[in-house]
Amino acid sequence: MNKRRRKFLRNLLIGIAAFVVLVVELYPIGITVLNGFRRDIVILSGRPFELSQLTLRSYALVLKNPSFLLGLKNSIEVGLFATLLSVAIGAMASYGISRYRFRGRNVLAYGFLIFRMLPQISLVIALYLMFKAAHLRDTISGLSLSYVSFNVPYVIWMLLPFFAAIDRSYEEAAMVDGCTPFGIFWKVFLPLAAPGLVVSAVFAFINSWNEFMYALILTGVNAKTAPVAINGLIGGETLTWGQACAAGTIMLVPVFVFTVAMQKFLVRGITAGGVKG
Amino acid sequence: MAAPLLFLAPSLVVVFAVLVFPIVFSLVVSGFKWPLSVGAGERAFVGLGNYVDLSRNPEFWNSIKLQLGFIFIAIPIELILGYAAALLLNREFLGARVVRTLLLLPVFFLPIISGMTWRFMLQPRYGPLNALLLTLGAPEITWLSDPTFAYLAVVVQDVWRMWPFMFMLLYAGLTSIPDELIEATVVDGAGFWRRQRSLILPLLTPTILTALLLRIIDALRVFSEVYVMTEGGPGSATLLFSLFANRVAFGYGEVGLASAMAIFLLVLSIVFAATLVRKNMSLDILEEKAGGR
Repeated sequence: MNKRRRKFLRNLLIGIAAFVVLVVELYPIGITVLNGFRRDIVILSGRPFELSQLTLRSYALVLKNPSFLLGLKNSIEVGLFATLLSVAIGAMASYGISRYRFRGRNVLAYGFLIFRMLPQISLVIALYLMFKAAHLRDTISGLSLSYVSFNVPYVIWMLLPFFAAIDRSYEEAAMVDGCTPFGIFWKVFLPLAAPGLVVSAVFAFINSWNEFMYALILTGVNAKTAPVAINGLIGGETLTWGQACAAGTIMLVPVFVFTVAMQKFLVRGITAGGVKG
Repeated sequence: MAAPLLFLAPSLVVVFAVLVFPIVFSLVVSGFKWPLSVGAGERAFVGLGNYVDLSRNPEFWNSIKLQLGFIFIAIPIELILGYAAALLLNREFLGARVVRTLLLLPVFFLPIISGMTWRFMLQPRYGPLNALLLTLGAPEITWLSDPTFAYLAVVVQDVWRMWPFMFMLLYAGLTSIPDELIEATVVDGAGFWRRQRSLILPLLTPTILTALLLRIIDALRVFSEVYVMTEGGPGSATLLFSLFANRVAFGYGEVGLASAMAIFLLVLSIVFAATLVRKNMSLDILEEKAGGR
């Protein structure tokens, strides 16, 4: 009895300690979300928070801000476009690596992985010059292409364990029936691999959604994404914290859903190369 | 041979166009004096001149110093915090799952939102951190306009954002240690510290090394959060490697010199990435069911 009570007390104390750690860790995020619901003038006055300060004014302003709206639209377009391309290309490559043995297979697979980890600054200067020469700078397709570059190796490695777990008997049966290799991949294998495709697509989308450096350097006015627009809101002379925080909160919604929904895959996702803009 | 090539061709085209070619191109550009804008003078071949210039450039060494300091200060703190939290949270209590998940939020947040958040936290007068200092009767600190405090703030931002990353990996490692092993040391009468030293640390060492390598590779290319937080300032107090290269290329317009920096960082990153891949990543998962074709 005594022992059970001591165990209960210990777990209670640990629970309280964990809760305190969580509150301290999430406090800065809470401040950002809260500031999105306060007016700039209230934020700048440094007045302590009161319920009466809550307002949707900053959201109304930022959702009328042409720069942020264009950025948001571009972020969604580039995200979807880059995700679709990366998953299509990555799934084919991952299938090739997992189902065939050929010379250079290991070098290729590990090479992809190393490419995923290269610093963006090492590539972006050359990409800037190339895109400028090819008139791809400040275009949705150019920026998407640059996102495909880091997402394809990522998707390949995310998919390998999913693909390895799929039973080969269906494919073998299809082969006996005389299907072409690509027909087997397309009609038989991909439907079986759907869960893995969804997971890797979600990771690829968040990678693109969070990215900043390529967007900053490879775009100008037309193809700039929401993170670049938000940077514009805080960089200037006028301090529009309310709008910046409202815009930031809008950007955080998909990330929040992602973290909670993808719990099971987060460790795998991070060791496949890290989620990093 | 034809079938695997069919499946790999699209990815090889992409990798060649947007990874291999830019690297080769950077290598070429790094051998030239290459102004960003056409009006700023002629391109001229200088051989290894840019690398020699870099080695004599105090700003370059400053950025290396800042970058190394960033890695050597932030990552050990993240490791210690992550380890402690993993030990604390490796048991079930009411809400344990919720705490473990929500702690990971900062890791997946947009880096620029992290930078923006901390830029706000550290503002004079109305920033929450200074408000706290004032309430405690301490003098206000103008964090982001003081070189030392700005650098410290950049490190704190990274620790805040990334210790849960360490926690996540170490926790995953801890849960894979069988309970019987831990109970056995309890029965043996080993105390907390002896249990850490003789059982848990040795078993976790591979996980810790992986986590450290992942973090170092990541920290080598830090850019967005610092750019939004300080833009490398005040002066060049937080001008980490990527920020400095960006400034050289697109601020000073010296693309050749910046490309030499790009190649330097590339080589360094490949060393770490190759170590990680050799140590940790394996295609063995494919071999269990595979017969090959």
